[in-house]
Amino acid sequence: MLATVSSATLVGVDGHAVSVEVHVSNGLPGFRVVGLPDTSCREARDRVRAALISSGFNWPQKRITVNLAPSGLRKAGSGLDLAVALGVLAADAQIGTAPLAGLAFIAELGLDGSLRRVPGLLPLVAASGEEGVVVPPSCGREACLVGRALTRTAPTLMALVQALRGQAPWPELPPGPEPVEASTVPDLAEVRGQPLGRRALEVAAAGGHHLLMVGPAGAGKTMLAARLPGLLPALSADQALEVAMVHSAAGLDVAAGALCLRPPFRSPHHSASAVSLIGGGGARLRPGEISCAHNGVLFLDELAEFPAGVLDNLRQPLEEGRVVVCRATGTVAFPARFMLVAAMNACRCDADGSPGSCRCSSAARSRYVARLSGPLLDRFDLRVRVPRPLVEDLLRPGGPAGEGASEASATVAARVCDARGRARQRGAPANAQLPAWRLDDVAPVSAGGRRLLERRLREGRLSARGLDRVRRVALTVADLAGDEPPLGEEHILVALALRAPGEEGPGAWHEPVASYGTPAEARPW
Amino acid sequence: MVSVLPALDGLPPAAYAAALAGLPGVGPGWLVAVLAERSPREAWAAVLAGEIGPPVRGRPRPGAHEWAGAAGRLDVAGQWERCRRAGIGVCWPGSPGYPDVLGQGPAPAGVLFSAGALDRLGDRRRVAIVGTRRCTPDGTDIAYRLGYDLADAGVCVISGLALGIDGAAHAGALAAGREAGDRSGGDGGDGGEVDGPVVGGTVGVAASGVDVVYPRQHAGLWREMVRVGAILSETPPGHPAQAWRFPSRNRLIAGLAEIVVVVECHSKGGSWHTVEAAIKRGVEVGAVPGSVRSAASVGTNRLLHEGATPVRGAQDVLDALGVFDVLRARPQASGPTSPTSPASPASPASPASPASASGPMRTMEDVVLAAVGWRPLCLDEVVERSGLPLAAVVIALDHLEEKGALGAEEGWWVRKAH
Repeated sequence: MLATVSSATLVGVDGHAVSVEVHVSNGLPGFRVVGLPDTSCREARDRVRAALISSGFNWPQKRITVNLAPSGLRKAGSGLDLAVALGVLAADAQIGTAPLAGLAFIAELGLDGSLRRVPGLLPLVAASGEEGVVVPPSCGREACLVGRALTRTAPTLMALVQALRGQAPWPELPPGPEPVEASTVPDLAEVRGQPLGRRALEVAAAGGHHLLMVGPAGAGKTMLAARLPGLLPALSADQALEVAMVHSAAGLDVAAGALCLRPPFRSPHHSASAVSLIGGGGARLRPGEISCAHNGVLFLDELAEFPAGVLDNLRQPLEEGRVVVCRATGTVAFPARFMLVAAMNACRCDADGSPGSCRCSSAARSRYVARLSGPLLDRFDLRVRVPRPLVEDLLRPGGPAGEGASEASATVAARVCDARGRARQRGAPANAQLPAWRLDDVAPVSAGGRRLLERRLREGRLSARGLDRVRRVALTVADLAGDEPPLGEEHILVALALRAPGEEGPGAWHEPVASYGTPAEARPW
Repeated sequence: MVSVLPALDGLPPAAYAAALAGLPGVGPGWLVAVLAERSPREAWAAVLAGEIGPPVRGRPRPGAHEWAGAAGRLDVAGQWERCRRAGIGVCWPGSPGYPDVLGQGPAPAGVLFSAGALDRLGDRRRVAIVGTRRCTPDGTDIAYRLGYDLADAGVCVISGLALGIDGAAHAGALAAGREAGDRSGGDGGDGGEVDGPVVGGTVGVAASGVDVVYPRQHAGLWREMVRVGAILSETPPGHPAQAWRFPSRNRLIAGLAEIVVVVECHSKGGSWHTVEAAIKRGVEVGAVPGSVRSAASVGTNRLLHEGATPVRGAQDVLDALGVFDVLRARPQASGPTSPTSPASPASPASPASPASASGPMRTMEDVVLAAVGWRPLCLDEVVERSGLPLAAVVIALDHLEEKGALGAEEGWWVRKAH
């Protein structure tokens, strides 16, 4: 006899509906799973058998064939367990097939018959073609996020079967934990001094610009970066759902109860491998850190300590907002529109980078800096030097509300929100994503600004490539100040200051190596 | 062994001197000792015959015979051909072209290889400008200026072709030569020298062979040095620099110079070798004073404390050489920057020109200028010190930079003297 039960499987971060067909017939007793199951999927056989028996059902001593349709799609993971178990029961006529219609079943089975959560529940629920879905109790609230008409849970296989048979009411959805009140992001008011770093952070948040901070250890680079989520505008419901889907597929905890509207902030350690950063893996291609930072911030501390090959993998995702991972088992596109924030020292000896303070040999210095490729460096619209804070700033009295306290996150976030609003009116979610051909249209430059840019270009202190980036940043600066284009000298100068030091990358953040003044520049001293 | 000797005929003595310098393990001390008793050809023959052993360091090594064999396999003619084709000159103690100053003193030079015109060295006053590779922008600026002014005054600038101060000094001296050439050509030319620099010129002492560019960043400088200046080395052509060659090279710099000027150096480093060698030879040492907070001036300030001659500019060096008023005597019209008044170098803190208009911007500039000190500051510190908003600071900095009151070097701001 044949039974068909709906479920879903995960490919990358997308769910695909799967119908589990179970055929029970006379013949040599046996259990076969076909339809490209991976190892954990094939192991369903043993879990299902044990779960059925310990729940008090009969295990049919017949020939059981399970087909996972569409059979061309590779199935991974244990989320099909429940569907297989119910299929066996239905095909063996231990339960009727009618109650199974219109429901999709997504859960792993324990040997005792309990229902367990599986990674990627959100996309799985979203992909199931049925109007209702049955999930483990711990995921009930999470599954509700997708907005299915009917979300059912049951703690065990026995309870589920009783509910299906109508012998017992469906268990109530367990109440989700109280929505966490704006998970504690540290406040910008705690950062002393750092006017340039704070400004860069604000501009980065407002324009979605990638930010690189260079400075000695203990200057406060990590401290600044950790405060970025508090400055970013809240996600829209759609964005939040995208984030939750990816996080679910990556096996991360998805905030139960309500969508988390706070942009994600991911900070992988610099020992991260290319695959963990980009995505990939074994039979099931998993999203990497850059996808977990989708619609949020990817913070790479100690950027120069990351292996160069790993970093260069970021170039394409930075450009396209997604990453396509190709393996023999399949090709998967992961979303990866993130803001890159990075921090590094100017050199290995960790001097403050001021001219002459470095103890590294020039060779050691160029080695350190050569770990960052030019194209990657070029993608940072904002590059600021973060020096150690002044002693006076550190000892200045007053906490967040005290005398002479720094500006609080909320104040800055309000400005950022306004600026983003202006950007949206122009039709781009953030200024960093404005295409170059629209710059002349939306960000004209005043006469004074044009003279300034021309001078910098002629002096070779600004490259053609840097020009567009400076204009985008200047537009954000103007947005933050509440000024309308055309972009004035002050906006461009601030943008140039935030793109210091020039076009040469951190190699030139120390003294120049082999360029000496030409006679025209020779100055009396 | 005897059969090799006839093949040696027909080569000039310089070829054998070069071959001797190229023997493994050979240093200047051995070369000087060997060439004091024999002509290069005799010395070479003696080496092949095993009469002269390799230099002995510590206890005698057993392989004297093998060493002679290694010498026999050396392609003397080929090496000489290479020198000849590259225009590399070879001289040794007693041969024409050997700088007398290097033959005197504690550790005389052995066989010297030169590219370019070393003979220009003889009649000129010679000043070495040395310093650290890890210098500040201000340091390269000063070295460049010093090299320029000294070369312009007819003094030959000697340095070590390294990154940082050395390279800047050479570059300055070369620029002075170029400008002088342009001047004499452009003004219709009042005769004088037709080719080569009109003024002091510059000599680089390399630790690698004269045809082996080190550091690579200086390939351009190297070419121009060979073209209009000279490069000198004890290392045979084609040989890279070994670590021991650098202190050895520094002693040549000290030996050639009448004054050694240290522009910037740390508490340790190669510049100290040069200074020690200069002191051993009784050569005067000068140092450029720097900020007591600059790590790159720790060494020079210590030198000053210990009694070195303070060098504030080329005039101080010229005074020490006993050359008076060269700078003032030169025509100022087409000089590089026409310094306002060489007699009073650093006018105290009033760099803004009086011509600038008064107004709110003016005061803001004053505040910013006061915030930027003589130590390089990054923008962040300028903002903090001035207490002004970032936008105001960057505008003021831009204006001040245009006026020349401030300089920015890779994001580090520093005030400039007028």
